[in-house]
Amino acid sequence: MIKYIVRRLIGAIPVLIGLSIILFAFVHLLPGDPATAILGQHATPERVAKMRAYLGLDLPLWQQYLMYVGGILQGDFGSSVINNQPLLKELMTRFPATIELTLGAMIYAAGVGIPLGRYAARHAQGWSDGAVTVISLVGISIPVFVLGLTLQYIFAVQLDVLPAAGRIDPRANLQIQSNFILIDSLLMGRPDLFIDGISHLILPAIALGSIPLAIIARITRASVLDVSNEDHVRTARAKGLTERRVDGRHIMRNAWLPVVTVLGIQVGGLLAGAVITETVFAWGGVGRFVVEAINNRDYLVVQNTILIFALVFLAVNLIVDILYAFLNPRIRYA
Amino acid sequence: MALLSVEDLVVRFRTHEGTIHAVNGVTFELEEGERLGLVGESGCGKSVTNLAIIRLLPKPAGRIEGGRVLFDGQDLTVLPEAEVRDIRGSDIAMIFQDPMTSLNPVLTIREQMVETIQAHRKVTKAEAEKRAVELLAMVGIPKAADRLKDYPHQFSGGMRQRVMIAIALALEPKLLIADEPTTALDVTIQAQVLDLLRNLTTEQGTALVLITHDLGVVAGMTQRINVMYAGFIVETATTADLFAHPSHPYTIGLLHSVPRLDAVEGEELIPIEGRPPDMRRAPTGCPFAPRCAWRLEACWADNPGLRALSGEETVVTTGERATHRSACHNPPTAEEAAAGRPLRAGFTAAPPPSGAIDELGGTTANIDDFGGLVAAIEAEESPIEPFPSAAGLPLPPEPERRNDGI
Amino acid sequence: MAAPAIPAGRSARPAEARASRGLWSDAFRRLLRNGPALVGLFLIALFVLTAALAPVIAPYPPLAGSLADRLQPPTAEHWMGTDMQGRDEFSRVIFGAQVSLVAGVVSVVMGVTIGGLIGALAGGIGGKVDAVLMRVVDVMLSIPGILLAIGIVAWLDRGLPQIMFAVAMVNVPIFARILRGSLLSLREADYVTASRSVGASRGRLLARHMLPNSLTPLIVAATLALATAIIDVAGLGFLGLGPPDPRTPEWGTMLTDSTKFLRQAPWLIIFPGVAIVITAIGFNLLGDGLRESLDPRMKR
Repeated sequence: MIKYIVRRLIGAIPVLIGLSIILFAFVHLLPGDPATAILGQHATPERVAKMRAYLGLDLPLWQQYLMYVGGILQGDFGSSVINNQPLLKELMTRFPATIELTLGAMIYAAGVGIPLGRYAARHAQGWSDGAVTVISLVGISIPVFVLGLTLQYIFAVQLDVLPAAGRIDPRANLQIQSNFILIDSLLMGRPDLFIDGISHLILPAIALGSIPLAIIARITRASVLDVSNEDHVRTARAKGLTERRVDGRHIMRNAWLPVVTVLGIQVGGLLAGAVITETVFAWGGVGRFVVEAINNRDYLVVQNTILIFALVFLAVNLIVDILYAFLNPRIRYA
Repeated sequence: MALLSVEDLVVRFRTHEGTIHAVNGVTFELEEGERLGLVGESGCGKSVTNLAIIRLLPKPAGRIEGGRVLFDGQDLTVLPEAEVRDIRGSDIAMIFQDPMTSLNPVLTIREQMVETIQAHRKVTKAEAEKRAVELLAMVGIPKAADRLKDYPHQFSGGMRQRVMIAIALALEPKLLIADEPTTALDVTIQAQVLDLLRNLTTEQGTALVLITHDLGVVAGMTQRINVMYAGFIVETATTADLFAHPSHPYTIGLLHSVPRLDAVEGEELIPIEGRPPDMRRAPTGCPFAPRCAWRLEACWADNPGLRALSGEETVVTTGERATHRSACHNPPTAEEAAAGRPLRAGFTAAPPPSGAIDELGGTTANIDDFGGLVAAIEAEESPIEPFPSAAGLPLPPEPERRNDGI
Repeated sequence: MAAPAIPAGRSARPAEARASRGLWSDAFRRLLRNGPALVGLFLIALFVLTAALAPVIAPYPPLAGSLADRLQPPTAEHWMGTDMQGRDEFSRVIFGAQVSLVAGVVSVVMGVTIGGLIGALAGGIGGKVDAVLMRVVDVMLSIPGILLAIGIVAWLDRGLPQIMFAVAMVNVPIFARILRGSLLSLREADYVTASRSVGASRGRLLARHMLPNSLTPLIVAATLALATAIIDVAGLGFLGLGPPDPRTPEWGTMLTDSTKFLRQAPWLIIFPGVAIVITAIGFNLLGDGLRESLDPRMKR
């Protein structure tokens, strides 16, 4: 098992190197003079000179690259051109918001999608199976922003039962500690703020989680049906096991495997989707940060946000691979 | 009273493509400790018969539509599901063809054995494990205690089948149904597994139904043989009788279509021509008539049913002195049986009645049209790739959905 | 045996019969029997016709309007109401179909071409070429979904051609993997081994046997990718990366501009949103249908 993990870690190295080269090129190969492009036309010559030195633009490209990688390894992500804030600090304060959102969406997607898929498989070819197929088709076809705006209109504007945007009531003076609103509110001993945080989370999580939900439901259904037809399930029944045990232990233990893989892939979709969801719901996470940065041509911010997203995605994939190996003895002992 | 008594069993599958007449009135009995072979080619209904006995027909398509299955005096076809479940695995155990796929790949052998024992006996986990080790040792698995924690993929095919046997015999069943238990194994391993099965069932006094398409397998294993064709039993006899005096043209055809070690020099193999009938049609006449060289006009219209060869009135259905019976209007003579073809001067097989030409196979049906269902049922015994992917094309990946995050 | 001559065994017949009819005509007939796929085809036809006939159908020019008419709810004159500049929303949605169709098709074709080329090189040549190309693909896939497109547009600057290129690049690694995967599995296929054993050259094998046969999964993936591409283009437009306003209407961009008026003018969200969803449903239905009809095993 440890050997397997080490092998997967080593396998990630070429991808990390490739990723760093692309992101390096993203800033250092900007058309014209990268320093001017980053700072804009009206920057003072001193600032341009400072930026040139920071990027090492006078050095050969390979030295610039080493400088860039060295900087990242030391936690130096540069600073935003707009407000001169160190980027690392900015990302640290915003990242919890994105994690809260994606986790919420994932819980919704898996929590509804998996039971839905199992239900459809158990009633395969019936009308309820058909209904699940239609739900997942529509789920896959509705973009996050369309669903988000629709939910906003129905639940915030028309019914006025849930807040339309933001992470918490702006009048609540929450003491920020971890930047996770749900955690901070509990640390303050304010369950009312916790509930307020949850109510803010519901709509964005549903908007973001619906595509993964549809995909997870489809895969779960297909996987359960596949496994149900396998010989060993018949063996389990022939041994006189109860349907409950056949279903829970024999079918699901196998059916999980493709589902886990898809869950991992969907994390990528959720991270990317957070960018748009945060824009729709004015959610102060990294996603909204990157959109603002693009509009401000704040290239360093864009570069490093993409880096963070990619790193998180790679880490999640690694965890999923390990979980997969844990669930699948054929890999664990390979 | 017989241990198992199958009476006029009828099984049909309702599919999108029509009704499949899988088993068409099968009757046989089995005494305690008796070993019976069920022989026939792919799709003859031998596996379906046995799945029907323990009520594991694929749902919802497969249904028992007639007859009774008496086991220990209880009719299994009407017993509540919970009671049938208690019988499965404890009184009636099954072994399936492919040991590669018949064990759950993600559970340890320990778990798969312990759950079987605990499903039927109130014992602690430790007791069940102890029993599991005994069983593994009994089926000849070296270092049984160490191997309990292993997964199926860590065993070879032959060893896996031994594990299957250990699980099947865990609760000392009265009846063991082995469905092609050695077909998927190497020839050298086959004999070992068969020996083991014979020895253990003899020791425990377990009755055995051995399903196979291979007459060579049943020859040394069973006391009696039922030959099945198209959902019917066409001949039944003690094993010795059947090999010495095969009587039904189909049995004769089977015997002549496999090479034998004791074959006389120059004796040629005679394949059975044609193919089994379209199971989507309600059977009329003798199912083997279209392929039979001995057929009479009557064969097209009437299925004679099993009749004692000697014409005796009282029929013994089980045991060493079981009556040799065959379902044939025109039983071949001993000489014809030896030759594998009719020897009567001037005899020709009766032509099909007008309007039934498509009996020979130019029918509307082919296996491909049945849909996935039958393929799944018969997969374990069918040498036919049910759905040949056209030209070996790579198939599009599973409906993999992308989520670009929008 | 005295039995009359009997046709070939049952296993051979259906396969031969099918092969002789041709995979494609066979698949097409199955597609026409597939209800959901027909619905998909219908929706796509609707979408394409709308785009092609936009100038004929649209009651008003997409860019003309007067501020006096702004934010009118749907009426007999303006079926989908008017936007914040008083332009007819119905006409704008219709013209938006043009943008979506062109952007979707161009980006998928570009993605299939580049991705296909990478996949063909990797799967066809193998060895080091394969290893290097696949690492490149891995790197592209490590940046999740639309973020890669966002980065590319950020680098190239906003606009429709940039968006098309960016969405194409998101598709490149996916198509490369699919083609490579099917080429690799074909390499092991019996008939390819057979051709090789009679001395067919590698180039000939690739061109005559493997490439044509590996196109099937690529076509299915491309159809499904059209759905995601149209959504992706709209999404980038929604983020404000599309063509700036006075230009051709783009569904995603129209939505962004309307978010400020969610309360007063929800129709400005509903109609472009429904247009995107219907188009995506169409391509998803057709893609699933194609997949089922091209896969003989999926037959029910």
